[in-house]
Amino acid sequence: MNEIFSKYYNLIFLLVVSFNNLIPKKIRSIFYLIISLLFFYIMSGKLIIYLLITITSIYISALLINKVEEKQNSSKKIKSLILIVCILINLAFLIVFKYLKFFTISTNSILSILGINFSFNILKFVAPIGISFYTLQGLSYLFDVYNKKIKAEKNFIKVALFISFFPQIMEGPIARYEETSNELYKNKNYTYDSFCFGMQRVIWGIFKKMVIADRLNIVVKTVFRDYQIFSGPFIFIGAMCFTIMLYMEFSGAMDVVIGTGEIIGVKIPENFRQPFFSRNISEFWTRWHISLGKWFKNYIYFPVSLSKPVKKINSKVKKMFGRKVSTLVSSGIALFVVWLLNGLWHGAGLTFILFGLYHFILIFLGNILKPYIDKRISKFSNNKLFKVLQNFKVAILVIIGELIFWSLNVKALFIMLSKLFTEFTIDKASFVKLGLDIPDCIILVLSLSVVFIVSLLKEKNINVREEIAKKNIIIRWSLYYILIFSIILFGAYGPGYQPVEPIYADF
Amino acid sequence: MNELIDILEELKPGINYETTENLIDGRYLDSLTILSLISEIEDEFDVEIPAVEIIPNNFNSAEKIYNLIQKLKNE
Repeated sequence: MNEIFSKYYNLIFLLVVSFNNLIPKKIRSIFYLIISLLFFYIMSGKLIIYLLITITSIYISALLINKVEEKQNSSKKIKSLILIVCILINLAFLIVFKYLKFFTISTNSILSILGINFSFNILKFVAPIGISFYTLQGLSYLFDVYNKKIKAEKNFIKVALFISFFPQIMEGPIARYEETSNELYKNKNYTYDSFCFGMQRVIWGIFKKMVIADRLNIVVKTVFRDYQIFSGPFIFIGAMCFTIMLYMEFSGAMDVVIGTGEIIGVKIPENFRQPFFSRNISEFWTRWHISLGKWFKNYIYFPVSLSKPVKKINSKVKKMFGRKVSTLVSSGIALFVVWLLNGLWHGAGLTFILFGLYHFILIFLGNILKPYIDKRISKFSNNKLFKVLQNFKVAILVIIGELIFWSLNVKALFIMLSKLFTEFTIDKASFVKLGLDIPDCIILVLSLSVVFIVSLLKEKNINVREEIAKKNIIIRWSLYYILIFSIILFGAYGPGYQPVEPIYADF
Repeated sequence: MNELIDILEELKPGINYETTENLIDGRYLDSLTILSLISEIEDEFDVEIPAVEIIPNNFNSAEKIYNLIQKLKNE
């Protein structure tokens, strides 16, 4: 079950929408916090204790850091110690809940290879939903206080709400405190306009999820489970369907999150910006899961590339080979760390690490070759056909990346990759085995065309909802009804369909 | 200021650095260019730019970058 689309979210959503304007503005933040914690409790039960420890540890540590700074003989060592203790507390939860099983299995394998007759018991705990999201969001607040970008917040409710705000806690976006803190405490009443605009965004997200993602789930499940019976072209179709499914599921969830915020007057940052219009893979990652990319850039990429050891290497390389090479080396070291962590953030497993390394290699190679490629393609850079070809290149690279990401294990991954390049048979029986009938395919083509047109308009800086709002009532409501009824009529639910299981909420 | 604009023009030509005020928000400078820029600034102006100062507000225009350099020099 996907948390953002679950009946529990609907219940919480109804509670907020029903009571928002009735709750006095002075205590509305408390109302949001109670609702957020209630939502988390419904989803994760007693594991809420870990969320509360995270909130409290981050709140207290930030205050302590500020206190140490205010003292005249403030000690940087004490400040750093507080920061490290708080990071360790929160990382310990992440490691125990997400990585313990993976690390234990890996250690046992190494011990067995070394011929040591000993193995650790494999323990696996159920993780609190959204732990990777709220931990990163909480830590970003702590880092910003430590780096004197913001002052520590004295009001516990404000910090608690920032870390646990119910639309964001499951799948992000991972916001910075200065980005959303003011938004969360504006305590606006919703208006007819904010309600309509927000609801449109919510329904659009549900359309993407229920009509497209849930339908593609049939193909994805079949291909990734029974990969051995499919040839290369069908493996590619499966990986392509997974990529589209992931995009529709995750960006659809973001539409619901941002739409919910819009209704109650809280502006939540965007997490996608038409990623498939990217011209290279680096650009893709500035348009897909934007908030995670920014987090890694702000708290890992720049700190690593400007750290003392990397600067030392940089100055040595600079003397020998010049500035261009030394920058590539610094950036390469930081990129490697970023993508290793990015892979691990997505999940504990070798396939996720390989997913990270695959992107590291692509981006690093892209950086090395950029000056040579730019020179050669500069005369075509404004050519529309050339842009489309670049978009296709990015899409294919992303699809291969997602194949690595979603493979059952490393063995399955290599079998699937080798089939891609060695088995080219296309037969009707395999099409049937994919599990979609002709009406399903027609619905997919039509609904994806609608998504494509909307994305194209957004890419051209046309605000689709504002344009629709300018039309007369008949056109406006016809469009709304088409969207609502297409979810009811063509949503992939009922016998034969299984909704997409949580992908990002489980990270 | 002129030295800074020369550095910027060498790293990323074709932008009017006198008037552009959204170098980061407008995605004119990517992460790699920022690293090159920092390396050049540190050599040219003899300052050290810490990672925490790499925020859009410090890098959105040549003037803002120059102000950051002056601030770090005075620290």
